[in-house]
Amino acid sequence: MSLMPAGNDTAIIGIGEYRVGSMPMASIGLGSCVGLILHDRQTGTGALVHIMLPSSQGKTDRPGKYADTAIEVLLKELIRGGSSPSNLIAKIAGGSAMFKTFSGNLNIGERNVEVIRKILKENNIPIKGEDIGGCVGRTIFYYPKENGKLVIKKGDGKLSEL
Amino acid sequence: MKLTHMQIDALQELGNIGAAHAATTLSTMLSANISMSVPEIKMIDISEIYKYVGDEIAALVLFQVNGEVKHGGYLLLYIPKTSVVRLTNAMLGLTDVDRELDEMDESALLEVGNIMVSAFLDGTAELLNIIMLPSPPQLVIDMPHAAIESIIASQESEDIDEIVLFKTALVSDAHNIQSSIFLFPNHPMLEDIIRRLEELLNPPI
Repeated sequence: MSLMPAGNDTAIIGIGEYRVGSMPMASIGLGSCVGLILHDRQTGTGALVHIMLPSSQGKTDRPGKYADTAIEVLLKELIRGGSSPSNLIAKIAGGSAMFKTFSGNLNIGERNVEVIRKILKENNIPIKGEDIGGCVGRTIFYYPKENGKLVIKKGDGKLSEL
Repeated sequence: MKLTHMQIDALQELGNIGAAHAATTLSTMLSANISMSVPEIKMIDISEIYKYVGDEIAALVLFQVNGEVKHGGYLLLYIPKTSVVRLTNAMLGLTDVDRELDEMDESALLEVGNIMVSAFLDGTAELLNIIMLPSPPQLVIDMPHAAIESIIASQESEDIDEIVLFKTALVSDAHNIQSSIFLFPNHPMLEDIIRRLEELLNPPI
């Protein structure tokens, strides 16, 4: 179905989902959604979340779906797993605008990124790499054990690394 | 929301009729036979969409469906990149298959999309006695998952957790062209369609 430079041990993180650990993780076809990585430089572990919307509006059933609850739950789980917040760095990819017209909110990608930046700043987590915006889809692969390497494959076929 | 077997059967019938109309127009445009799959209808959680639509580049011609039900949903014509070149070639009598997509392909896609989607909606309207009009098309040549998740996210106030996947494949063996039609009805439209289908199956006495 999709080309993946990844083995069977890669965890695929669908819309609104997150994982914490040291196995390779991937999100397929990010559009206006944002793939956020919190990586622990000390332990070689981290988390990937596939965020769809900026605000949970108080909902708690899918924390990974919304920027506000996603960062909260990742921090909680990483700290419980032994990470110290001061060792954490962030990388973000996605947040594009695939369509020009149609009713509905077309700047969701931008707003997702805005809220993520704000909350990361409040938590003193630096963004060490980003590939956001434009009107292109992205598939991302995160390798916690390889210094938190993030490989990005774009809809126009370009590969890059953060 | 859970669909009963009967509702799925009814939606399948609706898809059959719409897709058959679309297939007829495609067949005319290509002067070739088109085979059509039985429509696949599933409720899928947003976290599993990637299992059904991936990140291999394809052309997507997208229509918003309006009519009696406002913001009814989206209809999408999906054609893998390699099939796009063959489709344009078949329509324009060209032979070069080893080329990049250009403006010519884009106009062909918009044209084919318009005709097929209008036919699809005419077919379903005939059955349901419901008016559904397609918006002007939008063409995206990119990762299908990225496009679909963006559509879902753009309906922010609905805060969607699951979608109805409604898919029919249309294939031309003569030209080796693959295509699929997807319908993503929003909940109000889905409910309206199901109500009308049930009335058809069990007419009030």
